This record gives sequence, structure tokens and C-alpha cells, in this order.
Amino acid sequence: MDGQLKPRPSGSKLAYLPGAESITRIDPWWGLVVLVVGLTVTLVTVRADPFWRILLFVRDGVAVTAFITVSAFMFTLIAGMIGGLGRLSRNPVIHGVATLYVEIVRGIPLLVQLIWWYFAFPVVVQGIGRWLNIAAIANYQSNAIFTAVTGLTVCYGAYMSEIYRAGIQSVPKDQAEAARSLGMTHFQSMRHVILPQAVRMVLPPVGNEFIALLKDSCLVSVVAVADLTRRGREFMAVHFNPIEVWTMVALLYLIMTLFLARLVSWVEKKAHFER
Amino acid sequence: MEPIIHIENIHKHFGKVHALRGVSLDVHKGEVVVIIGPSGSGKSTLLRCINRLEEYDAGRIVVDGILLDNAQNINAVRQEIGMVFQSFSLFAHLTVMENLTLAQRVVRKRSRDESQEIALELLTKVGIPDKAQAYPIQLSGGQQQRVAIARALAMNPKIMLFDEPTSALDPEMIKEVLDVMLALAREGMTMVVVSHEMGFARAAANRMILMDEGQIIEEATPEKFFTSSHERTKQFLSTVLHMY
Repeated sequence: MDGQLKPRPSGSKLAYLPGAESITRIDPWWGLVVLVVGLTVTLVTVRADPFWRILLFVRDGVAVTAFITVSAFMFTLIAGMIGGLGRLSRNPVIHGVATLYVEIVRGIPLLVQLIWWYFAFPVVVQGIGRWLNIAAIANYQSNAIFTAVTGLTVCYGAYMSEIYRAGIQSVPKDQAEAARSLGMTHFQSMRHVILPQAVRMVLPPVGNEFIALLKDSCLVSVVAVADLTRRGREFMAVHFNPIEVWTMVALLYLIMTLFLARLVSWVEKKAHFER
Repeated sequence: MEPIIHIENIHKHFGKVHALRGVSLDVHKGEVVVIIGPSGSGKSTLLRCINRLEEYDAGRIVVDGILLDNAQNINAVRQEIGMVFQSFSLFAHLTVMENLTLAQRVVRKRSRDESQEIALELLTKVGIPDKAQAYPIQLSGGQQQRVAIARALAMNPKIMLFDEPTSALDPEMIKEVLDVMLALAREGMTMVVVSHEMGFARAAANRMILMDEGQIIEEATPEKFFTSSHERTKQFLSTVLHMY
């Protein structure tokens, strides 16, 4: 309540607030984005061989990386919400399952988890299929992209659960009491009062997770997903020019993460509110 | 006449602390009851038991004919009981208008237009119709508390509970909130108020209660209460009235 008023960038109705004009100012970090994109474009045009050829070769990898990251992130948001609510549940079974999930997943390296999903999980499914005598399940073959998205979701969902839990707990208790005193059910209070505030509160760490997920998505290259990293390795295997290939791959990741970081801070500003 | 709030010998423990030790109290329709007492005397806890924000360990409470002990639909009871908190507790992410309409819409199932009409009417009543589009942070404490009162009133409660509604306010703001409460009392609202605003108590209360160590020490009309011969009452009144 004390601190000074900060701009709440929700449009014109609050434009009279001191400092509100800074909302429209362009984020200086866009300069870095321009610089990196500029460097990449220069390399590709000035030294088209091999940079342009590398870019053409890995561009489908960029699409795969983007697809895996975005879809895993969407599922992560849902998994984290469920996990976070589970961690806060007063039902000991739900709380126990959610806690077990978080503790187990947090303790295993992501790479090991991905390898497990790709190599071990199908065998488990096939075994169950044989046991149940269902041919469709017994002949289960893993799909690399599916495995990648599943593995990333399960892992990042655990981290996200903890973020959501902290976010929900950071909403002052009196907010829920006020909602309940007005006759709202526990669900209504969560849905209309607690979660909308918690979600805004957790945007910065959630944004960080999104960027971390994009970078960690390169680990899926070991489970036969043709993402950016794997395509880079394939190109290098043929032409053996590590400096150019890995510089290009690094620049492409950098461009993606920088854009994502700008997007995240834009969303944060949009959703900001003062308590 | 059947009391609208019937509290019978309730007990409440917080761990080892015995916060309420057999409190009984009846409040009739249209009555204004002011509860005072030192901090930790259980007055807030008693108030919070009435809409079961706090569960009690023993005894019984009947509100508007509904026994709270194991009421299945506590939300139905809470709809009839407005509550105003010391810390205002406005929903920080919503505008004043949204604060006033949210529960009307999701609990009372009123339409957007109807709930906004009621909200505006109440904001006019508490004197800040021009703040409908503001966010809580942009309001003074007194304005926030008046919004909180309007938010509770929007549910058309039969009973209003006030938990130290002016304790977090500057003297000037205290008056604007008390004015609203006084008007409400004059309209015949049933009110249970935990407050040390003795001016308000004198003007509005039908009954005053002193609590200490989880028990009701004295219960009397304001005239009798302020001239009480009870030692504990005299002692406590001297502290709240700053009579040195």
C-alpha cells in the first residue's frame, strides 16, 4: 500500500499517473536484438557460403525447436497449475502425489528423463500391452516429437508447480477470506480472486522458465528429434566446419531467446498491477 | 422474537491458546452491538466465528435459523452476512466497480447491468461514485474501506460484521467511514462491530460488550456501560477514552 504509484499500463484511463508515459518508451534491449539479427544477416549475405547454406539446412530444425518449445510450454502451464494446486491441497492423497511428482522429477537430470521416455517408456508400454493381450499397445512405437514434448512437459511441469504454489501462497490470505465472506465457494474464490493475482505474480519466473525451456529443448536432439541442434550436428558431420555451424546455431538460439525475453517483459508490463 | 444471531457457549482453541471460553450472545434483528476489549481478548475471533471464517470447537451458533456447527452450505449463510475487515481486503487486481459486481454476478447470479446498477447506487451512498473505474491502490484508506462496505452491502446482507474497520485509518478517514456505518445503523441494519470508536458506540450501539481473555465481562446499554461500576470495564474504558 505504501510505495509510490507505479504506472499500470492498461491504457489511456490511467495515463494521468506520474511515470505512465514510460510505458510507450521502446525497451532499450531491442537494440541488442537488432544487433544480433544484424550480425546474422551480415554473415548470411556477406559469406553466403557456408552461412546461407547452413541456414537453409537448419531452418526446419528451427521450426521443430520452436514447435517443441511452444507446445511443451503450453502443456507445462497446465501441468504446473494442476501440480501447484495439488501441492496446496488439503487432501493428503492429492498433496502426497503432487509432492512426490515434484520431488522425483526435480532430482533427475532432464537428459536422463528424456532418454528414459524415449527408450524405456515404450518398452514399459509394450510390456503392459502384452500382459493385457492388446496388440495395439504391445506394438507401441515411440514418436520422437511426442516423447520430447512429454519429457519436457513432465520435467518443467514440476518446476512450474513450485512456481504456481509460491504464487498462490503469495496472494494475501485476506483476499480469500474476503471472497469467502461474500459467499463465494472455494472454487469461485480461486478462479476469480486468487489465481488471477497469482498468475500476475508468477509471470517473471514463468517467463524465465519459458526461456530456459527453449534452451533445454536442445537436449531432445539426443532422442532423434531433428531440432536446431541436431540439424547443426548433421550439417557438421558432412562438411566439418564447426566454427561456422555452431556460430550460426548459437546465433539462431540467441535470436530466439532475445525475442522471447522481450515478449515476456512485454506481457509482464501488460499484466502488472499494484497492490 | 427469535434472535437473528444466537451464540451459545462456544469455545475456540488456537493450539494451546484458549481463545474463546464459553461465549454466549444473542443479537436481534436491527440491533447494533459493539464489542470492545484488549487485543487477544477473542473479539475478532468471535466475530469470525459468526460467518465461520473461523471454526469453533464446542458450542453452537445459529444464524438466521441455520445452525452453523456443520452447516453443509456455509456459502448460503455467508451470502446473508456482510463482513468488513480491518485491512479493507479489496480485490487488488480489480477496479472498484469489478470489486462490487464480482460476487453479485458469480454468487447472486445477477446480470452485468443489474449488478453495475446496484454497485453504482451503493458507491453513491458511500460517497464515491466517481471512483468506480479506479483500482484499490489509487484510493485512500477511507475510500477503500467505504468501497469494502459497499461491496458487502451489494449482496443485500441481513447482518453486517465489522472487524476493527477504522483501526488502520487516519483520524480524518475514520470519520468518513463511521458516518457510513452510522447511516447504516440508522437504516436498521443488524450490525456487530468490533471497534474502539466510543463516539460511534455512543451514537449507534444498542448494546455494548466488553470481552477479556475469551469471555464476555460485561454486557449493557451504552448509558449503563459508560457509567459501569464493574472494575474491568472502568479500567478498560479509561484506556480507550484516554482519561488520564
